[in-house]
Amino acid sequence: MPLLHSAPAKTVEVNPLGERVTPLSGAELMAANPYRPWPARITSITDLTATEKLFEFRLIDEAIREAFRHEPGQFVELSIFGVGEAPISISSSPSKHGFIELCVRRTGRFTEVLHTMQCGDIVGIRGPFGRGFPFEQMKGHDILLVAGGLGIAPLRSLINNVHDERSEFGKVTIIYGSKNPSEVMFRDQFEMWRHRKDFDLYLTVDHPDESWDGEVGLVTKPFEHLELDARHTYGAVCGPPVMYRFVIDEMRKKGIEYDHIYCSFERHMKCGMGKCGHCQIGHQYCCIDGPVFNYWEAKNIQGSM
Amino acid sequence: MLYRVIDAAELPLLVSAFMQQYEVVAPVKRGRSYVFDAIEHPEDMVLDYPTTSASLKKYFLPPKETLMRFNAQTNRVAEHTLEVPPRVIFGAHACDINAINRLDQVFRDGTYNDPYYCARRDATLIVGISCTPADSCFCHLWDADEARFGYDLFLQDIGDRFLVSISSVEAANILESACNPREATDQDRIDFRHATRRRQASFNPGIPDIQDVAMLMDAFHKDDFWEELGSRCLSCSACAAVCPTCFCFDLQDRLSPDGKQGERYRVWDACTSPQFAQVAGGHNFRPEGRERVRHRMYHKLNGFLANHDRMLCVGCGRCVKACKADINPVKVLEFFKQKGADDASAA
Repeated sequence: MPLLHSAPAKTVEVNPLGERVTPLSGAELMAANPYRPWPARITSITDLTATEKLFEFRLIDEAIREAFRHEPGQFVELSIFGVGEAPISISSSPSKHGFIELCVRRTGRFTEVLHTMQCGDIVGIRGPFGRGFPFEQMKGHDILLVAGGLGIAPLRSLINNVHDERSEFGKVTIIYGSKNPSEVMFRDQFEMWRHRKDFDLYLTVDHPDESWDGEVGLVTKPFEHLELDARHTYGAVCGPPVMYRFVIDEMRKKGIEYDHIYCSFERHMKCGMGKCGHCQIGHQYCCIDGPVFNYWEAKNIQGSM
Repeated sequence: MLYRVIDAAELPLLVSAFMQQYEVVAPVKRGRSYVFDAIEHPEDMVLDYPTTSASLKKYFLPPKETLMRFNAQTNRVAEHTLEVPPRVIFGAHACDINAINRLDQVFRDGTYNDPYYCARRDATLIVGISCTPADSCFCHLWDADEARFGYDLFLQDIGDRFLVSISSVEAANILESACNPREATDQDRIDFRHATRRRQASFNPGIPDIQDVAMLMDAFHKDDFWEELGSRCLSCSACAAVCPTCFCFDLQDRLSPDGKQGERYRVWDACTSPQFAQVAGGHNFRPEGRERVRHRMYHKLNGFLANHDRMLCVGCGRCVKACKADINPVKVLEFFKQKGADDASAA
């Protein structure tokens, strides 16, 4: 319809890269239209298991790349135009700038397509979104990290961040449970850490094979012989929905405070900005109020667990 | 707030003045119901109307809206400009203005301002008008029967005159040029108070006033009532479509037939749709009707209140008429009233 009216029209523009009229900072560019994904190149792909790959991306625009800073536990919206968008938690540590690692399980149409992509291919990224783990607050404390299955993806960001600032933390314990040995991700990294004195690492599987020399049993099993200074410990949990209650029960039994236990929740954050509604849990939005909530907050959200 | 009085006979002049510069959207009669639509003549509109069947949100959050275009081969965005026509919504009821104020809290939240919504909101003037409640109206229960902000002009019908609240310079200038606004007299003020009391007295007394509904939503979160209510839900999304405050949407991509380019758009979605809370891999956080209906009511009557200090329901009554399964906030209020009566007789 032609514009016949004389009052000023309002416009929203989505411009391709390189056609910016006024020079804006990366943060301003991202804020101008937070729905707009920014092009990123796949710079590395590592097979982790039969169904999971670790992708490394680099944002192409320098201003955007510079402005991109994340907290452990935050996520991005990954775009493949024509296929759609998916919220994926960041697996790389905030201590490393310039690239973003995402650990992706092949589980639906979007991830099927992503898994066929090659190094050099372009995707879109917007974010980071959400509230991550309270890294600064955790400093000076002992840390107990518990991951189940793909829950290692967001926790790896925290684990590597703790690793890079190891002297800031007390005792660090990592429990990582998988169904079977072939599903253990980042195995090389953890194999190396098994011999380090500054990490207490428990890799456990439900169903071992003859090659397995780690723990056997559910992710709660290592709690049996865990010694904690509970009052000075922060817990962090991420895993499949059924896992939370059991792990948190164990942490509570050990005496860790309600608000020192942090959990990262999975929901379908479609917009990432507290609008589309898909990730609502009770009165909260997983995308802006979480995805990381402490257990006290989680207890106060209807339908969180 | 600045108040002036104009004669009712001047109203067409005001509408015509807006039409010089803006597209004017107003309530018009369509069959047996009323809808908001663009008008070409002031006489097309009907200002003494019961609630329209659809709300005003379509002017700020269209049912389907292109957010960007893209080149699928390079996987990058392509040029796309959304141009929003300057528009006046003439004759919005207080509940509908209050509904837009709630949408503002979501789409202009200060952290992630939605550029599409904001462009439409900024290009739109709103002229409100006082109303007489219909049987399905319960805006007064949620304190939404008066619009305190969110409009440019608000017309209070006081007989053969209108008491006009003037909020924006843009609208003030047009009012000034088209009509002869005069200072309110004591008689105008008396008539205004009478009109207000008449409106307040004419709400349907059959709709229970349960002021602690938010707390009760928590207390009865596990009650069988939700199964009773939710099992009736047909998942048709009519409630969300007519609701002036339901804003949930889905983001989707569509490719051109040759697969080379496409658009990313958003469409209205509803939390009562079965797959709404499903995540990758198939896990559904609200697989049952009971959970979905409860979530929708909970978000409206408790969740939004917890975050924004007001409910995400303005009591417009549209869902009361639209739902084929008789699921609406009034049913929730009636349930709590019954619970209260049961408790009283047990004690």
